[in-house]
Amino acid sequence: MSGNTPPTASGSPTATSPPQAQATAPTGADVDLLILQYLRAKGHNIAEKAFLNEIEGSSSDARNARPEIINPEELVRTLAVFAQKPSRPGDNTLKDSSNVLSELSTMGNPPALQTLISNISSVGSEDILTEDPSDKPEGFRELVAWVEGSLDMYRPEFRPILFPIFCHFYLDLIQAGRKDAAIQFFATFSPQLEAAHSTTLLHLSTLLLPAHVQNDELAQRFRDEKYFIRISRSGFGLLLGWLTEGIGGEEMGAGYGFYGEKGKRGRVSVMQVVNNHLRFDVTSSNSASLLPHTWEESTGLTSSLIPHANGSHSKIYNPQAFNLSKGDLKLGPAPIPEELRTETERVAREKAMLEGVPSTQYDISLAPPQTLPGMVAPTENDMLPLPPNFKATDVEREVNSIRDARKRIRLEPSTLHGLEPNSPQASAIRAGALPSICAYTLHNVPEGAPCCTFSQDNSLMAVGFSESYIRLWNLKGEKLRGMRSDFSATSIRDSASLRKIKEKKGNSTRKLIGHSGPVYSVDFDPLNGSAAPPKYLLSASADGTSRLWSMDTMTNIVAFRGHENPVWDVKWSPLGTYFATASRDRTARLWSTDRTACLRIYAGHLGDVDCVRFHPNSLYLATGSSDWTARLWDVQRGSCIRVFIGHQGPVSTLAISPDGRYLASAGEDLAINLWDIGSGKRVKKMTGHTASIYSLAFSAESSLLLSGGADWTVRCWDVKGAGGAPNKRDATISSNDSPTSHKFGEEGTIEPTLDMISTFPTKRTPIINVQFTPRNLCIVGGIYQSPETR
Amino acid sequence: MTTKPPKVRTTQPHHTGVYKADSIKDVAETLNINISDAIATALASDVEYRIHQVVEEAAKFMRHGRRTTMITSDIEQALRVLNIEPLYGHTPHNPPTFRRAGPVYGHLSSNTASSGTANAGAVYFVEDEEIDFDRVLREEKIVMPKGVSWTAHWLAVEGVQPLIPENPPPVPRDVDTNTMETPKPNGVIAAPSAPPLAMINGTGIANNTKKPQQQSQQTQQHLVKQVLSRELQLYYTRLTSSLLPPSSDFAKRTAALASLRSDAGLQALLPYLIRWVGEGVVGALKEGGQTEADGKVLEVLMEVIGAILDNNTLFVEPYLHQLLPPLLSTLLHSSLPRSHSTQLRTISSQTLSGLLTKHSTTYPSLSPRIMKTLLLALISPGKSKGTREGAIRGLIGVGKEAVRKGLVDSGGAKVVGSEVQSHEMGDWVEDQALIKAVLDALRVLHPPSDSEMSDSLNMANEADFQVSMRLRNLLGEFFAQKVGRDAAWAKAILGENINDEPIAGQIS
Repeated sequence: MSGNTPPTASGSPTATSPPQAQATAPTGADVDLLILQYLRAKGHNIAEKAFLNEIEGSSSDARNARPEIINPEELVRTLAVFAQKPSRPGDNTLKDSSNVLSELSTMGNPPALQTLISNISSVGSEDILTEDPSDKPEGFRELVAWVEGSLDMYRPEFRPILFPIFCHFYLDLIQAGRKDAAIQFFATFSPQLEAAHSTTLLHLSTLLLPAHVQNDELAQRFRDEKYFIRISRSGFGLLLGWLTEGIGGEEMGAGYGFYGEKGKRGRVSVMQVVNNHLRFDVTSSNSASLLPHTWEESTGLTSSLIPHANGSHSKIYNPQAFNLSKGDLKLGPAPIPEELRTETERVAREKAMLEGVPSTQYDISLAPPQTLPGMVAPTENDMLPLPPNFKATDVEREVNSIRDARKRIRLEPSTLHGLEPNSPQASAIRAGALPSICAYTLHNVPEGAPCCTFSQDNSLMAVGFSESYIRLWNLKGEKLRGMRSDFSATSIRDSASLRKIKEKKGNSTRKLIGHSGPVYSVDFDPLNGSAAPPKYLLSASADGTSRLWSMDTMTNIVAFRGHENPVWDVKWSPLGTYFATASRDRTARLWSTDRTACLRIYAGHLGDVDCVRFHPNSLYLATGSSDWTARLWDVQRGSCIRVFIGHQGPVSTLAISPDGRYLASAGEDLAINLWDIGSGKRVKKMTGHTASIYSLAFSAESSLLLSGGADWTVRCWDVKGAGGAPNKRDATISSNDSPTSHKFGEEGTIEPTLDMISTFPTKRTPIINVQFTPRNLCIVGGIYQSPETR
Repeated sequence: MTTKPPKVRTTQPHHTGVYKADSIKDVAETLNINISDAIATALASDVEYRIHQVVEEAAKFMRHGRRTTMITSDIEQALRVLNIEPLYGHTPHNPPTFRRAGPVYGHLSSNTASSGTANAGAVYFVEDEEIDFDRVLREEKIVMPKGVSWTAHWLAVEGVQPLIPENPPPVPRDVDTNTMETPKPNGVIAAPSAPPLAMINGTGIANNTKKPQQQSQQTQQHLVKQVLSRELQLYYTRLTSSLLPPSSDFAKRTAALASLRSDAGLQALLPYLIRWVGEGVVGALKEGGQTEADGKVLEVLMEVIGAILDNNTLFVEPYLHQLLPPLLSTLLHSSLPRSHSTQLRTISSQTLSGLLTKHSTTYPSLSPRIMKTLLLALISPGKSKGTREGAIRGLIGVGKEAVRKGLVDSGGAKVVGSEVQSHEMGDWVEDQALIKAVLDALRVLHPPSDSEMSDSLNMANEADFQVSMRLRNLLGEFFAQKVGRDAAWAKAILGENINDEPIAGQIS
């Protein structure tokens, strides 16, 4: 690498301490040019920019930011500042200089630089060329002191500033090749940021070489994108005041004179980051009116998470603005074709006569899809193309859904409000408000089963295993019989001859073999509803395929290839025929069962797409991703129409309420967020789980949310309830307190929010699937972990 | 290729380099390359970054695998999607055991990280066991793993978690909600605390929290913490000390019994009291039970049982099976102290009777079980007279039907009668006591008429003769004679026959 090491580099750089004059001597335009050249070659973008800023001294924000600098010849002044360094305790100089030179020696220096180096004495040159690493910890320390010393009112909105500045400082240090300084910086300051940003911090901590920073995606996002922070006008003013003058927030007893020059240098480096990488959304709203977790929604590298608005290339930083720009959605229930509806009514009436019950019990108006006020129902033209004629099974399904709606267990958690826990009628009310949960526990699963699902008629359970196979169980104990393969196709004429070739023997469980990697998701087709067992099963696997299995023949019919990467999730559309997959390749795709190629690709996520869910009217598709966002896509157009930003970790699972109004998402930040799909706003954040959440399900009335996860519990949440931290009395107090508690201290203990109605622990079973039957009974599935394994 | 244990340290964002420059140098040396420190450090940083890349990718596979532990197949999948050749030989079926060698490191501060190369970090290596084929073929049994199966249970019924073995034991209400979160993140459970013993100092029954055995087997660990309050402990010591003979203060004992009989709030003490009684009875009987002191102890203990049963505020039912052994032991023990034997057996039979009347409705199998024990003691050969007497007294306690069944139907009286007759050389006092017991029992069947008015069975009378013969059949010679003196009594003992007997006589 270092073929032509310059002779000056080999000489001891610290031999002589240079007089001040030497440092300032070569202040010509050519030197400026050389320095710029060097910075560019080394990839010091920021330093380069800062340098340019300083040289020009005319850019508006620089003047705004540093009004105290009057001298137009910036460089001279800068050098004068730097030249004071030898008077300080020279703890770092020795190491620094050697670092710089070794660094220089590793690259082929242009001869111009060599001459420059030989021209100016070593310590002075190093001061010019590299920034002193100590100003970053110093600056950050002061920033922390200032934020913590600020008024209670402002503290919550100042805190989010710390994190991006920390990240940039760390990356700057790494980029400058100062690994030790960077590690020390990280060790000093990361603990106080850990609670809220542990994942990002962990990732950053792995970056140790300049090459990593250049190649790492997250680091590049930090470099290239603006970090978005919302702040109130008065808060912004205070921040500017501190950046320029160092006003406020000093530690007690630390007068200006004490920190003088050093403090200023620290602030300068903070300001460089603020100028180059931060973007403030100055709101006129009072800082006190901010709710505790709102910063999650509007803070971060949001610009790339939010797609470009149609045509325009201007970046949108605010997810709300994007969601608004996308207009209203049609969230109402899907229309039932008129013929199907009349036929269903007819059959239902017949059935009522046969069973001798009043025909009102089969009233079609009882069927679930009802448009809620304020929601627009789609017309038939909006729907995905479906087979034009309905079949007998469709009628059966509709009739059954009416019956289910009638026999449904009503779950009304709202009755629990204001209920005395010990009052005599409490138990009766609780019984009416809370679900019955049937748990299916798998035993003797050595390597784990990533997924599990139940058919809507509760007759089948499918479990996908890490060992690449799927196992079906008939929960009623009936035999699962496939078809023989030794028959001539000509002999099959009618259903009777078809029945003849059914296998004679069978078992109530059956293995489906076909995948060549862990099976991550299985889903039964919804076409038969609760009227009959499903006909098909879809599965998605790490081998990059999703497969369609027939429940008649018990074989694999189609393998859908397209994703080159593991497919994490697969879901049928609510009306069958179509399905969607989510993959590690950062796309979700739409497929139809009759084609092997995908119909639509939903691209835009910056990380793996971890889960997909269809909206009940199948017009929209929700995806959750490792880029910490959930998105809503227009299924037909393939465009992103809503972005849900607020999770502080990958989104692990989603659920859309049956009434089509809410989206619930669970993330690795152990929180469940409830979103209003129409407006794209977060309704509330629900916390209480102590480990990853694997599955979410809404009750049929959309009033109750169930979640199951790795902490071996199933938890019930009140969708309509207010939520919030249990100990809060006043909104204003909480707005100041909660972020404190969220970011500092008490990691590990998670206070359940008020809307958590109950927790049902299992013995040692992580719950991998939670779902409601059409009659509102809850079934959960999990794998018992015997204590001795691992 | 570098081998690195697939060790995930996701919880510690701060680290100072897991992978040391020395390791790079070691690897380089094996390839006969000499590299400088600077290069080794840089390479180590890079290797670490790459490892983290793989681990981050593997974490995704772990998450999607719905697991909280990373396994080797996650790493393999991660390497595959990163287009790296997988590491062969690490199958999840056979997780390799890594051994650690070298100095143990705590947290390295960054100062030491840059300092010398002398203190090399710990080295992990895969343990390579030598396998002796002969031994394996001879000894190792290949066990087929059990197939995957499922069970279903109700996790909640209308919002209430049923108390079934499939569900974890409930968290007591009063305990702080913190304990609700026993499963820590990542599925780590807090070490199940051993069932805490309620310590009662100095009374020698420290290990008496032995729960009902079936329960302790059923629920693997009982997490309910129960600690006796200091007051109760004090009460317990006072109570036990004032009951037992060393303090032969009669008034004190009566007061103690009265307190036990009527005071509320002793539920927490109940298991300890019952245990105390049980041990006391065993102790008294084991020593031979011949001395008068033992008799007194037993008497007091019987009274304690009676008092416990009398106390309406106590919920005794779960402990009945623990209460019965001392009671029945006292009743049926062969050699009670002479002076107390009858009195003891009477008291215990009365207590038994009280227990049965109170609890046999809720616990229907109770009286049949007791009956069985008593009958066995009464009829089976080789029992001592004391046992027989106890059994009879017990039958009296159980009730009229039991007496009829035991003495008359099963021939208990016959057995006793023959024994009394044959063993003339036996203890006269015991015989008398036994005879008295039998007659007491028979009297339960029909209170004998006034002795003056009684007319004995007239042998000349055909019907009476029949009765007498039947009596002889049922009760044996000895007792038939005794009973025969009272015709009404005799007929009553023959039970339901009393009405149809004359008719039968007329016909014949």
